[in-house]
Parts: sequence; C-alpha cells; structure tokens
Amino acid sequence: MDTAQITPGSRFVDPKVLARIGSLDLLARTVVDGFINGLHKAPYLGVSIDFAEHRGYMPGDDIRFIDWRVFARTDRFYVKQFEADTNTNFSVLFDVSRSMNFGSKGITKLDYGRFLAACLTYFCTKQRDRVGIVTFDDDIVARVPPSAKHLEVVLHTLDRIQAGRPGSFERPLFKATEFFKRRGILLVISDFYDEPQVVVDALKPLRYGGNDVMVFHVLDPAEIDFPYDDATSFQDLETERKMPVVPEKLREQYRQLIQEHISTLSKLCGQNRIDYALFNTAQSLDHALFQFLAMRAKLSRMR
Amino acid sequence: MGLLAPLFLLGLTALAVPVIIHMIQRERKEVIEFPSLMFIRKIPFHSFRRQRIRHWFLLLLRCAALALLVFAFTRPFIRSPALAAVTAGAGEVVILLDRSYSMGYGDRWQRAKEEALDVINGLAADDRATVILFDSGAEASARSTTNRASLTGLVNDAEVSAGVTRYGPALKLAEGIFEGSDLPRLEAVLISDFQRAGVESANGVRFPDGTELRPVSVMPDDLSGTANVSVAGVLFQREYFSGRERVVVTARLTNRGDEPIDDLEVGFEMDGREVEMLTADLPPNGSATVDFAAVTLGDAPMTGAVRVERDALPTDDVFYFVVSPGQVVTVLLIGNARGAGEANLFLSRALGIGSSPAFDIRTTTIDTFNASDLAGRQVVILNDAPPPVGQAGLALREFVENGGGLFVASGERSVWPQDGLDLLPGRLGPPTDRDGRGGSVGFVDYSHPVFELFSAPRSGDVTTARFFRYRSVEPYDTTAVLARFDDDSPALTERQVGDGRVLLWASTVNSFWNDLALKPVFLPFVHRLTEYLAAYTPPTAWFSAGQVLNLTEQQVGLGEGGLVGADYVVMSPSGERIPVDVGDRTGFIDLDEQGLYEVHDANAAEVQPLNLAVNVDLSESDLTAVDPDELASAVTGRVGGERDSSAPVREVSAEALERRQAFWWYLLVSAFCLFVAETVVSNRLSRTTLSAD
Repeated sequence: MDTAQITPGSRFVDPKVLARIGSLDLLARTVVDGFINGLHKAPYLGVSIDFAEHRGYMPGDDIRFIDWRVFARTDRFYVKQFEADTNTNFSVLFDVSRSMNFGSKGITKLDYGRFLAACLTYFCTKQRDRVGIVTFDDDIVARVPPSAKHLEVVLHTLDRIQAGRPGSFERPLFKATEFFKRRGILLVISDFYDEPQVVVDALKPLRYGGNDVMVFHVLDPAEIDFPYDDATSFQDLETERKMPVVPEKLREQYRQLIQEHISTLSKLCGQNRIDYALFNTAQSLDHALFQFLAMRAKLSRMR
Repeated sequence: MGLLAPLFLLGLTALAVPVIIHMIQRERKEVIEFPSLMFIRKIPFHSFRRQRIRHWFLLLLRCAALALLVFAFTRPFIRSPALAAVTAGAGEVVILLDRSYSMGYGDRWQRAKEEALDVINGLAADDRATVILFDSGAEASARSTTNRASLTGLVNDAEVSAGVTRYGPALKLAEGIFEGSDLPRLEAVLISDFQRAGVESANGVRFPDGTELRPVSVMPDDLSGTANVSVAGVLFQREYFSGRERVVVTARLTNRGDEPIDDLEVGFEMDGREVEMLTADLPPNGSATVDFAAVTLGDAPMTGAVRVERDALPTDDVFYFVVSPGQVVTVLLIGNARGAGEANLFLSRALGIGSSPAFDIRTTTIDTFNASDLAGRQVVILNDAPPPVGQAGLALREFVENGGGLFVASGERSVWPQDGLDLLPGRLGPPTDRDGRGGSVGFVDYSHPVFELFSAPRSGDVTTARFFRYRSVEPYDTTAVLARFDDDSPALTERQVGDGRVLLWASTVNSFWNDLALKPVFLPFVHRLTEYLAAYTPPTAWFSAGQVLNLTEQQVGLGEGGLVGADYVVMSPSGERIPVDVGDRTGFIDLDEQGLYEVHDANAAEVQPLNLAVNVDLSESDLTAVDPDELASAVTGRVGGERDSSAPVREVSAEALERRQAFWWYLLVSAFCLFVAETVVSNRLSRTTLSAD
C-alpha cells in the first residue's frame, strides 16, 4: 500500500479489519440528532416510513399526518408520527498520556488505540456518520469537531498523536462535555490508570448528555500478567518515580489488583450504561473489534 | 569400579561454579519503565532474601554436565567378576605363517594355508587375530583384528617368497603384539616346516607369561623320503684364447637326500639360450661339480643360469649369474735407471699373476718417464726411484689429483728432496738398519681394505717378514698410518691427494732390504694394494634374495656414466616395475625375488639394461627340521609351549580394562548432550526474560 497516495493516518484503517466488522451494523442505541437519513434511530420523529406513535393534534400540525381511521373510531384528531433514520456524531476521546506509550510486544497501547479509533472512524464514515476526535492527557490536547468531512482530519490527528504528559480524567473529560451538545456516540480509549470511581465519575457527564458512551480499556499483556523476573527498579512512566521491585514476589498480588481494577471498572460502567471492553494489545485488532461490536449489537437489541 | 586418573576428581570443585551463578540474584542495572505503579504502590512493602537457587532444572543440567565431564577425565572402568567372566574367553591369537621358499616343497604351502584358515575359522567371536607372514623378515598386514574376511583374504593371497626361514623377527613381532594386547588369553600358532637353520634367530625371544604357542608342523613325520637337489653355486675360470676372453663355468650341486642320484640332468644357459646339457651323479648327502664348455665373452656382461631337474623344491634347482668381461687394472711401474729390472722383478711377477682383475703392467725408468706415459694408467708405482721433476712431476701430481693411485716403494735411491714433489704422506728420512734378525711389522690396520684380506685367522701374516733396513717416515697430521714396524716407525702410510690416493711403503718391494717378497702374503698384499689404489670393485655375479641394493654404488652400469644420476626403471623377474625413487630410499631396491632383475635407463632406451642375478640363500635348502616343541618351549619357557592350566588367568591391567571399556567416551558424549540441552534451556529462559522486559 502506497502511503504517499493516501490521506495520512489511513494506514490505521486496516482493510482486513473493516472486512470483518463490515458485516455488522453499528447501530446507535439511543436516538440522536441527525440530518442525513441513515441507519441510526433519530431522537426526533420525522419522515421515515416506520410508524412510531400517535399524538394529539396540535394547532399548526400538518393535517396530512392526521390519522383518519383513529378519528373515525375515537372522534378525536391524532396525528401519526414516524421514526426517522438518521446519522449521528461519532467522536473518539483518545487518552494520549505517557502511560499509553508503553508496549512490550512491539506495539504500544497508543498505536493499538490509534488502530481502533481509525477503524471505527472510517466505519462510521461509511455509515454517513459525522466523525470527530478529542485527544487529551491532563487537558484537552486536540479537538476535531464531528463532521461528515472530517475523516481525513481525524486520521491526520491520529497520526500526529504523541504521548508526552501525565494524564487525568476529570478535567479533560469535563471540558469535553462542553463539546458534545448534540447527542452522539462517544468512544473513550484509554488505559484508565486511575481509580474506577474517578474514571466513571468523569464519564458520567458525557453519558448524562445523552451520548452513547463506549469505553475501550487498552492494556498491554505485561500490565496484566506482570511477567518480570529479575529484581530491578521500576519507573512510573507518568510520574517518573522509581521504585525497587522484586517482581516474582509481587506478581500475584499485582495480578489480583489489576483484575480487581478491571472488574470494578467494568461493573461501574455497566451500572452507568456505559459499554466497557477490555483490549489486550496482544489480541488481534479485528478480532477485538468484532467481539465488541457483536456485544454492542446484542445489547442494542436487548434495549 | 576404578578410576585411572582419580586426581581429575578435583575438577568436581568446579561444580560450585554453576551453584554460585544460580545463587547470585542479579539485580538489573537498567530501569524498567512501567505505565503506572499505582497497583505496586498498593502492595505492602516486603524485604526479600536474595540469595537463592533459581532455575533448579538448569542448575541440575549444568552440574550434571560438569560432573560427567570430570568423570570422563578420570577414565573410569569396572573390574567386576561378571565382566571378567564375559571377557575370559576373548583371546589374542597370532598366526605365524612361514612363507620361506622351503615351504614350496611339495604340498607344504597348501597345507600350511589350510591350517591357517582352520585357525581363523575356529576363532571365537570376540577373539582378535593377527596373521604374520614371515621368512627372514616378518610382516603383519592385518593386525589384531576381528575381521575374519581380511584375515582369510590375507592368507589366501599369500605366496611363497624367496627368503629363508628366520623365526626371530616373526616371534618378536608376535611378542610385541601380545605385550600390547589387553585380552586375557594369548595364543600363538606357528605354522612352519621348522627348519633348524632358522631357530637360532629366535634366541632371546620370550613371550609374556601365560602365552600359549601352538606349533603346527607341515613336515611329514618320516623325513626319510625327503630329497632335495640344489645348485649350490658356480665358479668362473677365465682364460684368453685368440685374444678373446673365455670363461668356464663350473656348477656345484648338492644332494640333501639319503638316496644317491644318478644321471641328473644339468642344463647350462647363457643369455637365455641353452648352451649345454650334462648329467651328473650325486652321492647321498653329498655334492658334485659339473664343468661346462668354455664360453667366449663379449664386451657386455652376459646372463647365465644352471638348472637341474625339477624336484619337490624347485626354488633351489636353478642358479642365476651374470658374467662380466674380465676387468684390467693398468699399472705403470717406474724404476731407477740402474738395476730397475732386478728391483722390479718381484713386483712385476706378482702383478703378472691374476685374472680378476688382470694387471696390465708397463715398465719405464725415472729418467725416461714423461707425461705421456700416464695415459690410460690407473696406478703408478714408483719403485726405489727419486721423484720425477719438471713437467713429468707436474703430470704425476695432476694424475694423482684426478683420481690416480700412486705407490711409492722406498729404497736406496728413493731420495725425496725437501722441495721435491709434494705427494708423499710424510717426510722420508734416512734408512734405518736393523741388526741381527732384523725388524718386523708390529702393527697392522686390518680394517683397511689393503689388509682386510689378512684379518681372518690363517689368511696370511705380514708380520713374519723380516726387515733389515727401511727408511724412517715422519708422517703428516692428516696421514693415515696403516702399518708400523716393531720400533713404531711407520711402515705403510696413506695420503689423500685430490681424488687420488698415495701409499708410501718405507722399505723395498724386493729382497734387497727385507724378505717380504719371499713370503706368501706378498702376492695378495701387492694385489690388494694395487686394486685399492685403482679403486677397483669386482663386479658382483649374483646377489642373495633379501639383499637391499644401492644402485648408485654400482660401478658397472648403464653406459659410461654408470647408474649415477640416471633415471632408473627396474623390472623384477616377475615383470613388476619396482619404484626406485621412493622418499629417502631413492636408488635402493629390495631384491626379494629369485631371478634376473633388469635395470633400464629411462632416458636411453637403446642402452643394454644392467642385469642383476638374484639367487636364494641355499641354507634354506637344508630341510633338516627341529622338534617344534623344542622351539615352543624355548619361546614360552614351558614344555611344548602349552598353557599351564593351573596358572591364573592373565590379569588384565587397569589401563587395558579402561581402554576396552572406554566409558569415558560415553560420559563425554553424555556431557556434550547435556551441554546442548543446557544451551537450549538457558537460551529459552533468556528469551523469556528479555521478552518480559
């Protein structure tokens, strides 16, 4: 593939990945605003062919939508309302803190997140959704508002990402809440190195804004298994603090703590109707996406 | 279990090395960057003891490999009764097969080979065997092998040689094989006709204790019918007829049988053509001679052979020889002008006798001597005369320096001035008179070729001559004194001048000053002296089988240059080409076959080849046998050479046991395999660690 001929960042749109997830419909669970007819359910009743409900006639309503059959039975005027398929905003909130720059298997979490974001962005673009991105660490780093024409910009932004500073969630996500006045799908990609409650508290405003929030928890296998043997000093990538560690002595406790962290985060997300998925960078990307979108579709039908 | 080199066990201390390595808890100097230590910080702090064994399996691998390596170097062996029982039947069998030419008598050789094959076929599976083919030498082609096929092939391919029986070299070779053997049972099988002539060489050979020598005789029990006629040799009588040299060949025949032989046909061949056929009568255990008609010789040597009727032992029924034209030594006898005839009388008469070589004497006086007289002369005798002066003197000096011989016999007129010709071995002094019975020769260097002839008892005594007067000689430092008078005055001195030789005799060679000329030793003394000065070497009419010949020393050779420097091609009697230029044996050939060898000059095909006659040693024709048990007893120290059943089984040395068991080899291979496994395991562990980093 000749990268010089294509938009920067499009290398993250792996055709193989798209081939796998192209068989599924990425359906929004909630009704979002939209202008272009699509597959998503619109939050407003509109002009689609799918009947939604009857509403009492109000002065000013178009009399063409009065259901005369109901009038005949009830002698009252009701107008028919239809569900209108529309497109939605799809935005990626990408954690670019320094901890994301870790990788033990040749690929860093940042790269893995890039792939995920690029794939889903492209996929959504094909569904005529508007795509945007917000990168953050301790603050908002970059923002691309959702737009149907912003695929290239989003990919370009993904390509330029550099993880350099420590990160946090409260401040940047609170700021990001201001960006999403219209409801849409928000995808948060991060390693979530913070207390689960803090993370969920930071995500709640986004959820309460009516957005469909998805959380991609990206972790390296070394962060899960802690396979180190020799006693050595470990340095925190974000705080740069060093600490002497005898891994073989701490391994079991570490694994227990990280599993607790994952389970707690997953549980809290579930309680707040936030989709949570754990991604191990050792897993193949397409497989991970497929698994997630399948789960997402299933949840959508249940709701 | 024993150890041949137990000191190597100290190497086990090296086992501490992997243990120490494994005990060391390496703390990595590099810092591992980790996304977040938030979870690690939650874990309560503990301190850990660092020294501990890690990777037990790897440690065991390393320790085992090192231990096996050390153990291999200690060269362990097992000395257990069970193992001894297993190896008790194994034996080192040496088959000594006589291939001397006497084995060609009748069917002895065939029977001997059958006996050898029977021994090979009767070998146990774990026996090792050696076949030694011997005559005067011994050869073991297949040495201590279990390969029956090679042993059988060796026996089947063996042929009777032209050599004589000598048990010594073969038994010594077998002794060496036994001493190097680590098998408990040692057995030698000697297959021979047990000729008495070969037994003496076995003196001093003693097999190791416990060795069994089993003699297998191919001689019939009753030797009364054994008959053997052989041509013992030939003699040449040279004569000149009508200016041509003729030779009469006399053959000597022997009959070693108990029955007389009448009308035995004896053939005479020259240059491959039969010349004459005579008959002879031979008494039992006696000999006879046969004179053949004279044969005229040409300019080139001629080959000849005398054959008798073929009998049971055909090898000695023929005798080959080469007859060369008579050699002539040319002598110039220079006497004094006065009385030269009397002074030269004894000398010229003595040199006038003899045919091999014949002496061609030309006589002159010192007054008339000139340089042209030296042409074609090999020896100059200056008999009681002063040295030549002027051009003649210079010519004489040049003659000697170019290889000529000069004999100076002192006398009344042998006045050698101080500034005279510098050729003498010493300064010639005034005459010394011995009163009474006169003096005699007190010391003779019998190792010198001139006197070597008289070294044997009753072969002539030069000390019987009485010397009444002789000149004193003051020899130079480089002069060799070959004989001295009883007053220690030099009698015969020698000096090397250039390529020539000068001999100075301090007295006369006539009856003037001594009576040597009247003694029987005078003739051979003068002959040997003259031959020595002429550097004369008699041509060899035949050689004996087994001799090693240096071709470069053969004077009579191919063309004028002789064999020196020529490229030789030697053809054996069987037609085989014999390499001559093999390593440091260039020019040497082994005369192993009976018959006529031909030496060709590869660069001059037109030149007649040099013929060399080779005959077998006739001592082998004496088929008198010795009791085989007698020989076996002498070699083993036990009657009949049989093993003493009460004697303990030969104890195998620790070195031999270890060499046979060779456990070190298996240990070394095991250690190597463990090291390979260690490499694989440690690499895998390292990869795991690195990937975790």
